[in-house]
Amino acid sequence: MRSFIRKLRWPDYLILVLLITFFGYIWYSIGGTLNYKWRWELIPGYIVGWHSGREEYFANLLLQGLTATIRISIYAGILALILGIILGVARCSPNLTVRMLARTYLEFLRNIPPVVVVFIFFFFLSQQLIDALNLARWSRGIARQDDILLWQIFFGDMRRFPSLISGVIVLALFESAFVGEIVRAGIQSIPRGQREAARSIGMSHFQELRYVVLPQALKKVVPPMANQFITLIKDSSIISLISVQELTFKTVELVASSRMIFEAWITTAAFYFIVCFGLSRVFARLEREKKTDI
Amino acid sequence: MKLTRRALGIALAAATATTIAAPAISQSATQGLSSESVIETIKQDGVIRIGLSLFVPWSMRDKNGDLIGFELDVGRQLAEDMGVEVEFVPTSWDGIIPALVAGNFDAIISGMSITAQRNLTVNFTNPYAYSGLAILANKSMTEGMSLEDYNSADVTFAARRGATPAVVIAKHFPDATLLLFDEDGAATQEVLNGNAHASMAAQPTPNREAGRNPETLHVPFANLYDPRGEAFAIRKGDPDALNFFNNWIAQQWRSGWLEERHNYWFNTEEWAGEVAQ
Repeated sequence: MRSFIRKLRWPDYLILVLLITFFGYIWYSIGGTLNYKWRWELIPGYIVGWHSGREEYFANLLLQGLTATIRISIYAGILALILGIILGVARCSPNLTVRMLARTYLEFLRNIPPVVVVFIFFFFLSQQLIDALNLARWSRGIARQDDILLWQIFFGDMRRFPSLISGVIVLALFESAFVGEIVRAGIQSIPRGQREAARSIGMSHFQELRYVVLPQALKKVVPPMANQFITLIKDSSIISLISVQELTFKTVELVASSRMIFEAWITTAAFYFIVCFGLSRVFARLEREKKTDI
Repeated sequence: MKLTRRALGIALAAATATTIAAPAISQSATQGLSSESVIETIKQDGVIRIGLSLFVPWSMRDKNGDLIGFELDVGRQLAEDMGVEVEFVPTSWDGIIPALVAGNFDAIISGMSITAQRNLTVNFTNPYAYSGLAILANKSMTEGMSLEDYNSADVTFAARRGATPAVVIAKHFPDATLLLFDEDGAATQEVLNGNAHASMAAQPTPNREAGRNPETLHVPFANLYDPRGEAFAIRKGDPDALNFFNNWIAQQWRSGWLEERHNYWFNTEEWAGEVAQ
């Protein structure tokens, strides 16, 4: 820290002072025109609150939303990885039809705004799937049972299970296009000689992928994949539009009920930042450790 | 090699055929279902699913994170009378009608006022609540004034520019002076400060403002301007459900229960401690 300060030259200090004045001025002018009663003291109660009926601490709206966001991100991340690998392999397939289909799917997703994609997938796909499988009735049956702690740990409120699933599906389908591109880049980065060597010892196309190409390709794409996962967490806020009960949706509810517009949104932003920035630090460390291994 | 490829092709074709056929089967099944009433589904599942969007005091989250409000009382009573469980599905307002049409819930009970535009897409029951604009007046300045007295050049109204109240005031009190502001809060503040006699806003805002400042403000008249009715919204083509809900609402009006609940949430502040306001 000290050596960092010693490294600063006078232009650095000038920039610093200018920045502070700039933000200070903005803050001052907001305070002057904005007749807003800040109520920060109420926010902790909406993260972990004291339940007046049950007489115990419980996870209130914001924390419920955060856990839901984390849950959805993990499930959607796994699903997107599976779909993305299939898509990436299909993109490098020798078969023209398969290649074209994969390309169509990808270009369709990449060139339409996420909000539109979310609505299309929700009403035309995940909704139909949930109706066809009768998931709503099934999950309600579970919610009515007594001992459902394990279900709740994995899926939260079982009555909202269909909406969680549609959120996961929509998010995974949307992100799979980008994961697919990353996988394709990984596969294409494997030298041609490797594939030819695999073929020359009599491996089939599948064996070549399974034993030679994919292990190397997937190892190479870990950093961009980690990056994509962080993007997925941020993108998960879009599915609040289809009323999945995640962090953004819960914040909207809190704002509608208590009118703490700025406090609630700043807290939510901080939650997203902590999760995403924390993850990026973890991934960076893992990468560094992997390098020292080799 | 050639044989396996052909076999693969046939398998693929078969798989495609089933995936295309499956929705067709389920579609005919949904068509079969939709010919039945939603009342049947509710009885069968033992649960009524109600879509709502949070709006104080219709519905809101209390300090425990639970849903409370006028809609919640209505929904819970309705479920109790039907002998089923109730499930509230918080939904964003923009997507609430598509979600109803898509079948995410059985009815919208969310302070939705009946408009011709909405009615083209969904069916409405008879109103279970009425809302409208009310006059919020300065207590000492309007002491003993009748409604006709407000329509005089000595009386000053404050209202928000471009909003419905300004238009309604101009229509009903053409002789009064009208002060225009850029926001509702400023208009109320003028009445509080004694610079204007009265303001007008959608209920329950005037009642709540009067409740907050009981020594300076009051709502002198119970009648509402530009009134609208709020009703349950259900999917089209379901006369059984419409009949059931209409009769339930009529009964609750007759017994005075709806009025009493509405009064509790809209005209009193007894629940204010439960919510961070």
